[in-house]
Amino acid sequence: MRLKLPLAVLGIVALLLFPFVITSPYYVHLVATIAIFAIVALGLDIVFGYTGEVSLGHSALFGIGAYTSGVLAFQLGIGFLPSIPFAIVVAAAFGAVLALLALRVTGPYLAMVTLAFGTIIQILINEMTFLTNGPLGISVRAPVYYDWREWGGVFDMSLAKMRNVQNYYVDAVALLITLVVVTRIVASRWGRAFEALRDSPIASDCMGVSVYKHKVLAFVVSAGLAGLAGSLFAYSEQYIAPNNFSFDLSITFLLAVTMGGRKSRTGPIVGAAIVVFLPNLLADIVLFRELAGVIAAVAVVAGGIKMVRDPESRARTAIPVALCVAFFVFALTLEKITDFKLTVFGAMILFVVYYLPDGIFGFLRQGVASVRPGWVRMHAMIEVKGDEASAWAATPPRVESGRPLLEVRRLLMQFGGLKALDNVDIAVMPGTIHGLIGPNGSGKSTTMNVLTGIYAPTGGEVLFEGTPISGLAPAAIAAKGVARTFQNVQLFAELTLIENVMVGLHHTYAGSMAEVVLATPRSVREEARARVRAASLLRFVGLEALANEEARNLPYGKQRLLEIARALALDPKLLLLDEPAAGLTAPDIVELNLIIRKIRDHGVTMILIEHHMDVVMGLCDTVTVLDFGQKIAEGNPAQVQADPRVVAAYLGGSHETVAA
Amino acid sequence: MLQILAQLIVSGISVGMIYAVIAFGYQLTFATSKTLNFGQGEALMLGSLVGWTVVAYTGYWLMLPVVLAFGLVQGAVVERLGVRQAIKTKSESGWIMATIALGIIFRNLAENIWGRDALKFPSPLPETPIALGGVRVLPMEIAIVVGAIAMMAAVELFNRRSIYGKAVVATANDRDAAGLMGINTGRVITFSYALSSLAAAFAGVLIAPVTSTGAAMGGALGLKAFAVAIIGGLSSGVGVVVGGVILGITENLTGYYISTGYKDVPGLVLLLLVLSFRPAGLFGRATIKKV
Repeated sequence: MRLKLPLAVLGIVALLLFPFVITSPYYVHLVATIAIFAIVALGLDIVFGYTGEVSLGHSALFGIGAYTSGVLAFQLGIGFLPSIPFAIVVAAAFGAVLALLALRVTGPYLAMVTLAFGTIIQILINEMTFLTNGPLGISVRAPVYYDWREWGGVFDMSLAKMRNVQNYYVDAVALLITLVVVTRIVASRWGRAFEALRDSPIASDCMGVSVYKHKVLAFVVSAGLAGLAGSLFAYSEQYIAPNNFSFDLSITFLLAVTMGGRKSRTGPIVGAAIVVFLPNLLADIVLFRELAGVIAAVAVVAGGIKMVRDPESRARTAIPVALCVAFFVFALTLEKITDFKLTVFGAMILFVVYYLPDGIFGFLRQGVASVRPGWVRMHAMIEVKGDEASAWAATPPRVESGRPLLEVRRLLMQFGGLKALDNVDIAVMPGTIHGLIGPNGSGKSTTMNVLTGIYAPTGGEVLFEGTPISGLAPAAIAAKGVARTFQNVQLFAELTLIENVMVGLHHTYAGSMAEVVLATPRSVREEARARVRAASLLRFVGLEALANEEARNLPYGKQRLLEIARALALDPKLLLLDEPAAGLTAPDIVELNLIIRKIRDHGVTMILIEHHMDVVMGLCDTVTVLDFGQKIAEGNPAQVQADPRVVAAYLGGSHETVAA
Repeated sequence: MLQILAQLIVSGISVGMIYAVIAFGYQLTFATSKTLNFGQGEALMLGSLVGWTVVAYTGYWLMLPVVLAFGLVQGAVVERLGVRQAIKTKSESGWIMATIALGIIFRNLAENIWGRDALKFPSPLPETPIALGGVRVLPMEIAIVVGAIAMMAAVELFNRRSIYGKAVVATANDRDAAGLMGINTGRVITFSYALSSLAAAFAGVLIAPVTSTGAAMGGALGLKAFAVAIIGGLSSGVGVVVGGVILGITENLTGYYISTGYKDVPGLVLLLLVLSFRPAGLFGRATIKKV
């Protein structure tokens, strides 16, 4: 969006000038509160929007931040600004413990655990009177760091008012810093990792981007920001008590992110502004009615336009419009709003979940996109030229000459009583293409999954470059230089092609998250280099022209090529190709053959699972044949093809009849 | 000394069984749809309050079928309004937020209908404790244990023996395959939500005579049942009973020996301990994901 920069500058100027224009302390405080909520929402968006996990404990993390500052002031007399780092670190530490434990299992565990955590923290704050002053709460007051009254009457304000304005500026600056931090993180390799692990956790792990580790990391960052906001909140309110940090507040934060719009900076800020106004709105029946009227009017107009443009979805469009109108009627008939405040709150959440899943910002963005598609971009445009030379960076494998790169010894994989792999031995020599064939259900894909760590084998061992890798996590095996593609394509569907490849390049970065946040020269250089490499790899598989398309829009054959490019980004010493030709057209297969040969020419060893026998026989140096989990033949293509057991396995018949 | 301990354990068991029934409800829906009702505590509360209204006209035993029927309907409503859409769009955050929102709405409506105060629930059994080997037990506490086990056993039996139950089990094993075999998996999921709320409503009228009832009773119970479901394992029927009893007893012990204020803390501590040592729960099985 070309408007982005000027709008951002305008926003910052407005934020900084606000207390001079609107001098009412009430509104200055209100905007400060919005800034504080926006910081939480921006942080929550990393977890909720990007990694797709739900946290119901952000009110507790916010409370921990607030109480860290409060307790430091109350017990030790440490002031506002010095307490902020402590608040961030303490909240992040709590977040780390929670995430490390809750994210070990997939499923709604994080939501359940954080919900319990939120309740317990509130109880603890209440009970640990010796530390927190219990239900009485803590009063804190920021020192006046700079007395503006010395400016010879330019600013005519009382001490309290000046403190209010000063807090406002601290909060505003904190919001701006948060914006920069979050924007840089989500635009970096970390942000790509967060999105990738949501689209395909398995592919993410196999690209060396550990899902567990990165989810925890996202949560810790998010918790730290909640802690920061909590600390600001304590001094903004000048008083904190346990019931400031109830479960409803966690829901409010989630509502802010969802209603504003996930995966954006504008969305959470808009959402924060709305939820901060919400209590006022739900306390004033006149205002409530007016707003319900406005919403109903907008819904009727937007719905009307949609109905004209898209007649087929008329019935579906009519429901939310009718609901908005019904809500307005409900607002008109309502006598006392306070009794039904929470019902309205709940109904709002339901409405947003159902009809505004992309939030207000997402809704507007779609609206603009339908009129002016060029104005809206969902992804960063990465336009760099790749070149053949930059594509390759693999180091040669460290094996003694004559020794195999990968050695599988007496591998056993049992699922219940079924032996999917039964004492299989395979040795893959460096620089070769090793075929793995066999009828369906013979254990080829199981072998692949054991080699990449998705299954831990029941028995036997796998040696890579002479060291055992069986039992390691997929990300750890990937880090050693084993890359793979998938039989049923596993792309990061919502990332662009070049972003997909850059997730594979995650390992090429050395810079820490702190360096990304500070945009150090090294991290900038690394990002630039990764872009060139990604473009080069795309060029290698012939997809450079589509670099900024979303992966899910690719035709099937090209998706398989993209998987190969992404796997090559890992600089693999061993590349496992799981049925790369499946579903490809004849010309595509020719192209694939060419690509596989070129990969071999660059010294990458490959294991190839394939049902297209011409591909296998044309490319492979050695072929291993599996049947019912056992190795039945091995040798060069010609030997294997002539082997009667192989023929029997493919065409049926018992060994005896073939031998006879 | 030992007597007090025994006393605490016995009353811990009866509370624990309530947790187990609610957690059992979580398991039912989690098995069929990988979702669960974050407003389950509110389902219990509504069941209990509806029971409170009905019991004045019919007495305790005739009230039960009415409450169970109400639970079925309430669960189906939650699934239709909160979960179905999210399952269709595969949005995890969707069902979590929607079921929470429905819980908030239910609680607010209950406050407006029944008020905010705790209400005394008439007990169907004598309220004088029986002495069992020096430990005093309320007849209702025994009824809770018996009722809870009977309830879970009935559902299990239904799932294993009846053809409808087999549809539930099939959907739990593999929703897509069940769908291809002609099972209306959408209806099975609705049904599992109905059963889950039925269990919660039943738990509500079981515990109400002991603790009293009220619009605020649901939240804490639903939450502890989360802990129980994680401790026991989201996929193990035995797990929730054991997990429930463990939590009930630990809470009672903490409440007595440390402070009633900290009574709710061991739940989280246990939960975190289980997650660190047996992430799939004490009785849960770790599943292998297939590619």
